[in-house]
Amino acid sequence: MQRRFLSSVSASAGNSKALTHGRWSVKQVKKSNFKSALDEIRTSIDSSDFVALSLQNTGSYAAAWHRVSAIDTSHTSYFKAKYAAERYQILQFALCPFSLSGPKLTVHPYNFYLFPRDELKLGMPSYSFSCQASRLTAMAREGFDFNTCIYEGISYLSREQESASKFLSGNPILAEPIAAPSSPSTVADAVFVGRIRSRVKNWRQSCLDSRSKTGDDDLVSSLRKLVLGSEQYGSRLCLTIDVCSERQAQLILEMLTEFADDVVPLLMASKGRGTQAIRAVFMSSKEDMDLFKRELQDLENEDNMRVRGFREVIDLISSSQKPVVSQNYLSDFTSIHAKFLGPLPSNVDDFSSSLSSAFPNVVDLSQLMKEISPLSNISNLPAAMSSLNRFFAPVDVEVANQGSLLKLDEGHEKHGQNVVMTSQLFAKLSTIQRSHQSSVQSNEDLQALASDENVKVWSKNSRKVSSENLVFIWGLAKKVTASMLKSVLQKSHDVFATQKFDVKYLDRSCAVVVFWEKGSSETFLSAVNDEEKLVGSLREMVAEGLRVAGYESYKRACRLGFWEADLADSLDRTLESLDADSDADTRPSDISWTSELAINFDEL
Amino acid sequence: MRRHKRWPLRPLASALVRSHFSSSAAETVTVSTATAAATGAFPLKHVTRSNFETTLDDLRSHVKAADFVAIDLEMTGVTSAPWRDSLEFDRYDVRYLKVKDSAEKFAVVQFGVCPFRWDSSTQSFVSHPHNFFIFPRQELTFDPPAHEFLCQTTSMDFLAKYQFDFNACIHEGISYLSRRQEEEASKRLETLYDEEGVDSVVETEDLKLVRLADLLFSERMKKKLNAWRSELLHGGNASSVESPGISNGSTQSAETVFYHMRPALSLKGFTSHQLKVIKLVLDKHFGDLVYIHTSDKSSCSQDFVVYTDSESDKENLMKEAKDERKRVAETKIQSAIGFRQVIDLLSSEKKLIVGHNCFLDIAHVYSKFVGPLPSTPEKFVASINNHFPFIVDTKILLNVNPMLHQRMKKSSTSLSSAFSSLCPQFESSSRRSDSILQQRVEIDVEVDNVRCSNWNAGAKHEAGYDAFMTGCIFAQACSHLGFDFKHHSQSENFAQNEKLDKYINRLYLSWARGDIIDLGTGHSNAENWRVSKFKYENIVLIWNFPQKLKAREIKECLCKAFGSTSVTSVYHLDNTAVFVLFKNSELVSNFLKLKQQLESDDGPVTIIHPLSKILEGGTTGAADYEAYKEICSSNISKILFSDQAETVGVRSRTRPDPIGPTSPETERIEKMVAVTNSASDLIDAFLANRVEVEAARTS
Repeated sequence: MQRRFLSSVSASAGNSKALTHGRWSVKQVKKSNFKSALDEIRTSIDSSDFVALSLQNTGSYAAAWHRVSAIDTSHTSYFKAKYAAERYQILQFALCPFSLSGPKLTVHPYNFYLFPRDELKLGMPSYSFSCQASRLTAMAREGFDFNTCIYEGISYLSREQESASKFLSGNPILAEPIAAPSSPSTVADAVFVGRIRSRVKNWRQSCLDSRSKTGDDDLVSSLRKLVLGSEQYGSRLCLTIDVCSERQAQLILEMLTEFADDVVPLLMASKGRGTQAIRAVFMSSKEDMDLFKRELQDLENEDNMRVRGFREVIDLISSSQKPVVSQNYLSDFTSIHAKFLGPLPSNVDDFSSSLSSAFPNVVDLSQLMKEISPLSNISNLPAAMSSLNRFFAPVDVEVANQGSLLKLDEGHEKHGQNVVMTSQLFAKLSTIQRSHQSSVQSNEDLQALASDENVKVWSKNSRKVSSENLVFIWGLAKKVTASMLKSVLQKSHDVFATQKFDVKYLDRSCAVVVFWEKGSSETFLSAVNDEEKLVGSLREMVAEGLRVAGYESYKRACRLGFWEADLADSLDRTLESLDADSDADTRPSDISWTSELAINFDEL
Repeated sequence: MRRHKRWPLRPLASALVRSHFSSSAAETVTVSTATAAATGAFPLKHVTRSNFETTLDDLRSHVKAADFVAIDLEMTGVTSAPWRDSLEFDRYDVRYLKVKDSAEKFAVVQFGVCPFRWDSSTQSFVSHPHNFFIFPRQELTFDPPAHEFLCQTTSMDFLAKYQFDFNACIHEGISYLSRRQEEEASKRLETLYDEEGVDSVVETEDLKLVRLADLLFSERMKKKLNAWRSELLHGGNASSVESPGISNGSTQSAETVFYHMRPALSLKGFTSHQLKVIKLVLDKHFGDLVYIHTSDKSSCSQDFVVYTDSESDKENLMKEAKDERKRVAETKIQSAIGFRQVIDLLSSEKKLIVGHNCFLDIAHVYSKFVGPLPSTPEKFVASINNHFPFIVDTKILLNVNPMLHQRMKKSSTSLSSAFSSLCPQFESSSRRSDSILQQRVEIDVEVDNVRCSNWNAGAKHEAGYDAFMTGCIFAQACSHLGFDFKHHSQSENFAQNEKLDKYINRLYLSWARGDIIDLGTGHSNAENWRVSKFKYENIVLIWNFPQKLKAREIKECLCKAFGSTSVTSVYHLDNTAVFVLFKNSELVSNFLKLKQQLESDDGPVTIIHPLSKILEGGTTGAADYEAYKEICSSNISKILFSDQAETVGVRSRTRPDPIGPTSPETERIEKMVAVTNSASDLIDAFLANRVEVEAARTS
């Protein structure tokens, strides 16, 4: 089934609607068909060159200023994205492995319903999550089925949670081989080990005996079991030795190496309490031991499958090392990191390195888009697509992962369309790219292009300014518009009269003043904070409650997580906390922060 | 089995989704009740936004006539972090802070309201169970506060287990505004319209026609408007004149209509940018044509170009338009109040509200429909009385009254088991053959004017049915207490009855601990309610100690340092924190001082000191009980207590003079919150699911 995507598709509203609703059949995956879909996905990923993804979260930002805007450096953007990724939940994860050859785009779209159900009763993957009412309402309008999601969504554990859960789930763990003997033993240790050793010896002997003579009647054998404290582990005989500490467990494991030929020790852990007991399992032969270890491994694998859930898919993508295409790099990958890898690092550099170990190749479509068509807005996929129409770049889409033809009336198949569009947009962009720079051929070049950190915005109104040139201003006595505030400021101080500047509101409580010349911000900041220099109408404004702060305070607010609803409150809190501990934290990372900002004033 | 008996809104709701909510209110009502009757499910009135207005009128009369109203709520969660659960050492004010946190963070998704009325003609109660789906949808578009709520994963899973219909709730739930939110919205509305004049001037200033497309468009519009205007002025009958050529074939159209008795062009299909350009053209070239933007109740916006014959007429028109917009916005606020109308009704009728273990429910009602919860339990008690003067908690009734407690035959006082042990006649099939029939209260169910006394059991944990069960328990309990419904006149007031006097307005603040809060200010029956005497000033909180340390080991360390009898007990808050109950408050400050000393000292003493085991790692925090309160009052909720303590910023510290237990302030406060010590309570506390706390007691 092929549909030719004509580059002449116009941008009018009617068409964009057609684009978002049920164009392609997307395989819907929930708990019931997850297992069977997994193999299919594996083949899809293996046979593709790229993987596109698109997430549906329960929220994006709680207050206007929490949204990443033009005044954010990569550091503050990261803090904002981190805050959102930690609070909101991914309900829908659309995934599309695709390959591109010439104008032909082969896609394998899947749409997964996720719900962080606590399958293991361990308070994981997430104790709770936030929802934005407006976001849920919007999802409802698009026809999202919340019942399917909550009843049948696939759960998961992050990599870190999985390793933590091993010791929490209470399943027996095969003891790691003892590498070196532990610290010198005390008399008490020796006594303890001696006692256990004789107990194990007796038990082992009885095991050997029972193997040789099978003629015992039931009563005798059960009596023997009772006397020796012998139990059965599956079909095998075993002995459970209770321990009070990890030290005791260690001692017993060391001692059991003496019986390594026919005894396998298992660690029995209980919920969050560490090792509770060691279970020695008797092996009838060498083959039996191999079989037993294999059985345990299989059991663990199956358990892992159940534990990891949807993360299997993430691991598949990660291990395939295929480039991952995302529409919104920062918000998508902070979410993915937080939910499927582990807690988000405290700064953006650690995040990048942590992420690249799992996903070495990430293509940020919005960056790519800016390279080619700087003015278009990536957040609206159909619009972005149509803005590329001036380039001739035909793309044929072929949906490859469906057995049956799409049944659009079902209503369900339509979820996850965005991910197909994302891959389509990528195909288009890379075609255009290729025709522009004929040298660019391989994926690596595309990578290099996408990972370029310098944002160049080709807008008339945009300029590069240092973040030092920004001054935050709040606490105005009454609400005025930005242009009124500008004219008020112009009269208030010399620096405004002589220097060029602009004013924009960041939210209803706080505005930012952008000085286009270096040094003016310091003049202004010091003027407000200096009793003697503070004169005229500016003094009047300060007396009425006006407060100002430099970019440092804003950065600090983001770093310390003062996410109040109004930016003014957050900045007030930051200033208070600065007053509280005078040893203003001058972390080395603070200094190395890039202060260059490319501000597109239209976007502010 | 219950699955199949479920009410049919779910398929209906998805049908609604598919048809883009075009289905009318009337259809919904008829379908839902008709199917309910057909399948033999418990007759329950399900209310969503499509049938809310019509139901509200009926409910009004039912509530007015009712003797009492039972309520029940379903929320998206209960605790925002594991340590926010009710714990052994939670003082009543800390417990209140935890309830406050829960009510502020989670959303209510279902609200059951069930008015009960004694019908002397049939000698039975008539109940009207209503099940409202509510959702904090943002109905107001102007400068909306971002509304967020928390979902506890286990609670969502619990709701799913009982077949809760999330689609019905999110797609079709009734929205609401609290009183405070309504006031704020009105205030914002006022400032919005005061500024409007200013704003529009600036806007047009900002827009400059630079792009060629804009210039061409504005020229064209100028011509068209000019043609329309001259036709209007010179072509005689204005209304019959069709606008020439504007609407040929394109999506854009302009037709001549009347706007407030003036000839006008109704503009359709223009983009907002185009409309701005049109506005600019009007301001520049046409003094007598005015651009008007309106939006009606269904938030459908309309744009007009209106002809005015004079400057004063123009001013009048502007004023009229502004007033109309304001009126529309006001009606929007009125309709956004939504479900709060039900709460206002309960409040204004001053009916006896019956709930089961309902302190959290009442806190939710306050925070969602009245305003932000007060910071202290005292202020809450002082305020709730104005809104709900009479509340009775059936859980209190069953546990505190010895006779009822005995009748429960030691079974759990959870809602469903209380219902089956007190009202078995409704669940067993042999209803009429009960030997002690005369003691049973007859209860009929009436939904949509269909009354029946024979019905199947409903689905547990559906707010409407839970409210019904609560009401039944109350009615039955009253009968056991000696209420004689039959021989009293209808005007008998439950709330004023002396038999209930001991129980009214007393709620479990913490069921696990048996703390009871008295919401009725002024009267505290000291002889019945004993004051709790925990020595909170003897408590130290320790967190971030080495993970492997258990309560027992911590106790050993402390005993080595302060003497073997110094520590009464050590409780885990969670894996990262413990409460230590010292013998006296001196030890508390001694401990905190010693900790500080050891931390600032690098000498060899620190290593061999018994406390070093606890302080190992250098991040161990400790503080007194007041710090715990502070930590609980924060609106942050980290999963681990140690993270919470660090984030809130409570570092180790000693308080120069800890608040003594004898200060008059605390004495007065403690009188309001009481703990019962009757044997029945102990049994019940044992039966109840207590929070698991690892304890290492002295013995």
